[in-house]
Amino acid sequence: MRRARQLATVFLLLVALASAAAGFLAPSGYAHQFRDTPDASPSRQHWLGTDDLGRDRFARLLYGTRVSLCLAPAAALLSSLLAALIGGVAGFCGGRLEQLVLAGTDLFLSLPWLFLLITIRALLPLNLPPVTSVVITFMLLGCLGWAVAARVICSDAHLLRNCDFILLARASGLGGWRLLVRHLLPNLMPIVYAQFWLSIPIFILTEANLGILGLGVSEPLPSWGTLLRDLESCSSMSHLWQFAPLLLLIAAVSCFHLLVVDREFPA
Amino acid sequence: MADRLLEIRISADYPNKPAVLDDCSLEIGRGEIVGLVGKSGCGKSTLSLALLGLLAWRGGQVRGSIRLNGRDLVGLSEGEMRKLRGREIALVLQSPMSALNPALKLGTQLHEAWKAHSSGSSEACNRAVGEALENVSLPQEPAFLQRYPSQISVGQAQRVLIAMAILHRPPLLIADEPTSALDIITQSEILELFSKVSRKLAMSILYISHDLLSLASISQRVAVMENGAIVECSPTMKIFRDPSHPYTRQLIRALPVIPQVFAAPAR
Repeated sequence: MRRARQLATVFLLLVALASAAAGFLAPSGYAHQFRDTPDASPSRQHWLGTDDLGRDRFARLLYGTRVSLCLAPAAALLSSLLAALIGGVAGFCGGRLEQLVLAGTDLFLSLPWLFLLITIRALLPLNLPPVTSVVITFMLLGCLGWAVAARVICSDAHLLRNCDFILLARASGLGGWRLLVRHLLPNLMPIVYAQFWLSIPIFILTEANLGILGLGVSEPLPSWGTLLRDLESCSSMSHLWQFAPLLLLIAAVSCFHLLVVDREFPA
Repeated sequence: MADRLLEIRISADYPNKPAVLDDCSLEIGRGEIVGLVGKSGCGKSTLSLALLGLLAWRGGQVRGSIRLNGRDLVGLSEGEMRKLRGREIALVLQSPMSALNPALKLGTQLHEAWKAHSSGSSEACNRAVGEALENVSLPQEPAFLQRYPSQISVGQAQRVLIAMAILHRPPLLIADEPTSALDIITQSEILELFSKVSRKLAMSILYISHDLLSLASISQRVAVMENGAIVECSPTMKIFRDPSHPYTRQLIRALPVIPQVFAAPAR
């Protein structure tokens, strides 16, 4: 298992480095069109061929990986922070506030998550500038993905509030935000870390789902979701190189899951 | 009795447990060490929480009066009580390892306790922490303060708790079974430390325990609690030589006797 985790770490690092160095590794920009060679097969110049608009598939994969690998952890960070704030405060305060927050979380969890995302995204204009679409997708994922993590964190905070060290901190004259931030939060960090790492593969897949439906990152900016959408036009299994984004997505999500399993999170 | 510091006459209830404290009366003089003894569940810890105004946090309710330096604490708001906790009344808990925050360094915990009531410079804070550590015979080196609770012994952890409690030199210290988690040698060292701190800082101590022998070694008076009421409160000698209440007599009869083989004089 340890060996598998090491391999997963190395693979993810290589993918992240390659996407970071896309400007050097890619033969062209993600939007550059080779008008003379649309839908070309792999060659020395275009390692994964070109799409039907003549754009280099390898360049788009590298830039798309960069977008997806930045977007998912950023959304996971936002949702984990929201979960820590909502769940932490509710669990720490207890009483009616906790009941109210838990009821709100249950209601939130009962909503069909993907349909909710699609509905909200569909309400926004489809011809958004690429950068705006990235920001909106990140905000949507981050703001809608906090509920499960908040429930877990709330339960942990509830246990911690009755611990002796919190009683002693209160008996020392501490209270309010200082007690929450300086004494409770450091003890919640392991569970917040765990929720952060668990959220990343979920958000990668969610972004891919939105992208396939055309509701994720806007063209011409690529992401794993928008690259998977290109598979709709793949008519033959003979063009197997077109499945490279799908294979990379599966490999990356599997590697993130391997990293989460048995991971020891720092206190 | 010397000049009175604390006068208590209270009853306390929990939602599903009425009369946990039933017209409980006790007085403590300035600089006096009063032992409070009773079996587990008789209301000793409830009394300590009531004195600190923390019973409501555990869902309990207090009626009656708690007069500290002539000021009634029962009617005070949470904000007013917070100003008193740690500065006027301090607490030392039973299990030092669970009473110290496992995620914070010892130095951070001491600094936090100091900042709860003081807003001076970091030099003033370091000086106060250094004095408190000196009073409990702990090293003042930065290397010690950089340690986490899991990196020190139980005896050292109990000394850190005492240092934290005496940081603001409160007139009253509540020690809630502070030696029950310690081995017998550390126990005697901590008892000696409480006596020393009381003498040096003219601090009153309410020493709560179910171990009558350890109480007798440091207390000037002993109060006996049964079913939430103080049934007898007399000087330590009188409690042992002429107990008036049947429950006190029962407690004294239950004290362990050293077997004759060990008690016999050496030849």
